[in-house]
Amino acid sequence: MNLKLLAKALLAFLVIAAAIAVARPGASYAHQDRDSTLAAASRQYPAGTDALGRDRLVRVSAALLLSLAGAIAASVLTTAAAAGVGALAAFGPESIGWLAMLVCDVFLALPWMFLLMIVRSALPLSASPASSAAVTFLVLAALGWPACARAVYKGALNLKSADWMLHARATGLRRTQLVRTVLPNLLPVLLPQFLISIPAFVIAEANLGALGLGIGEPLPSWGGMLLELDNSAMLFETRWVYFPVALLIAVLLLLEAIAVEA
Amino acid sequence: MKHALAVARWLARTTAIVLLVIVGSTVLVRFAPGYLSDAREMDAHYGDTVRAELSAEAARSGSLPHLLSLELRGWLRGDGGVSRQYGVPVSDLILPRLAVTGGLMLRSLILAWALALCASLISSATRKPSMLWQAPAALLLAVPTAAMATLCLLAGYGGPVLVMALLLAARDFKFLHHTLRKAWLDPHLLQARAQGVRTHRLILGYILPSIGPQLSVLASLSIVTALSALVPVEVIFNMPGLGQLAWNAALNRDLPVLLSATIIMALAVTLAGMASDRPGEWRSA
Repeated sequence: MNLKLLAKALLAFLVIAAAIAVARPGASYAHQDRDSTLAAASRQYPAGTDALGRDRLVRVSAALLLSLAGAIAASVLTTAAAAGVGALAAFGPESIGWLAMLVCDVFLALPWMFLLMIVRSALPLSASPASSAAVTFLVLAALGWPACARAVYKGALNLKSADWMLHARATGLRRTQLVRTVLPNLLPVLLPQFLISIPAFVIAEANLGALGLGIGEPLPSWGGMLLELDNSAMLFETRWVYFPVALLIAVLLLLEAIAVEA
Repeated sequence: MKHALAVARWLARTTAIVLLVIVGSTVLVRFAPGYLSDAREMDAHYGDTVRAELSAEAARSGSLPHLLSLELRGWLRGDGGVSRQYGVPVSDLILPRLAVTGGLMLRSLILAWALALCASLISSATRKPSMLWQAPAALLLAVPTAAMATLCLLAGYGGPVLVMALLLAARDFKFLHHTLRKAWLDPHLLQARAQGVRTHRLILGYILPSIGPQLSVLASLSIVTALSALVPVEVIFNMPGLGQLAWNAALNRDLPVLLSATIIMALAVTLAGMASDRPGEWRSA
């Protein structure tokens, strides 16, 4: 079995296990059992509870699902935007191409962590946890497209000068028809970009959450759970606080393995 | 003449990008969904009339041209505007922290490059790519900066420089290993090795000069990565640098400070990016 297949199987297993943990009767990521705060692993709480008495296994599972779903959605948006901009820049008038690449340069010059902080800090104070999650991943998508668009632009330019493309243009294929023909041929560029973006977005969300600027409580997130490590008193109580970090690293390794092999 | 034109074009493009960065950041701030909301509106001590007045005042002073003119005036004055949180010029907050951040970045970059170059030179010279080098790099790339910094802090081993250096070294190693491996397989190098030319002579005389352009691009990418890692590292290790200032400004919605920090970072990224790819263009001009 090759590495990519193994990584896909393991990731699928983790996702299914997480979905079962979240969907089982009585499981709630927000329910607080005040009598069992920082409890050790038990039959009722297989990974113990956090400082507010919430089931750690359910929270980690929900964080995994939320983070993967958000990162995949953001990656779809990023790749679609990059495909549109890259193809337009390559096949449109030269001035449009120049302008599109200048916009890419401007976005690439803006350090994403600072931009994320700007937008996250300017969210309404009364923003709900769900909207904070949506905004976090939307902002990641909005900032992630320029690097991908540059790669698509280069790929589209190569296609534009290919013999079959010259032939198609010589036979009078219109621009819209050309773009429709080109997009499937850009898949070898788009697929790796899509797969690379997913772990990058998961890491970005975790870093942002660890700074207290990610997804709002009580929604579980990797970043929010990394904040638990700041509480040294909690670390002496239970070693299960390391569980989310370990699982996050495992998920990222699997995602990287899938992306690298693509 | 061609040379001068190329330099002028580079300068014009850099200036345009910096100006667009200022305008873009300001537009982003202005149209962020909660820009007009004020923390005082959540305070139960204020009545409805006061809250309405606060909202109206925010709307009056929140027009985009007003914001842009404030930002540009602040930059032209040289103080970057006034901090909402501390009520002092932004430059007074930023300047003392630049040295801290600069020192951290410089030490991290030097250590990271030394680590990555040594590791990639050894790993690329072997016949088959070894997991001994690849596995630690892959593992380091899968650990979020914040998690790595927190774990180092908890273990009481390693500081901000080590965390940043490990993160950068892992990224640089990946590219350097790939580039060097390709370089070692060049026919003229294979022949030189077969003839018994010493490895260090090959590295210094042939390999490093031939991958010079890739190294300069990678150096600029390292700076960009380091700037992104700066915030979690400075916050977790409690270093009074620019990243910590920006984080503090983000938590307290001090947008003039956050905006200035972003613009300084964008300037650094632009200059690093431009410096890495322009010399080649000038030479060929």
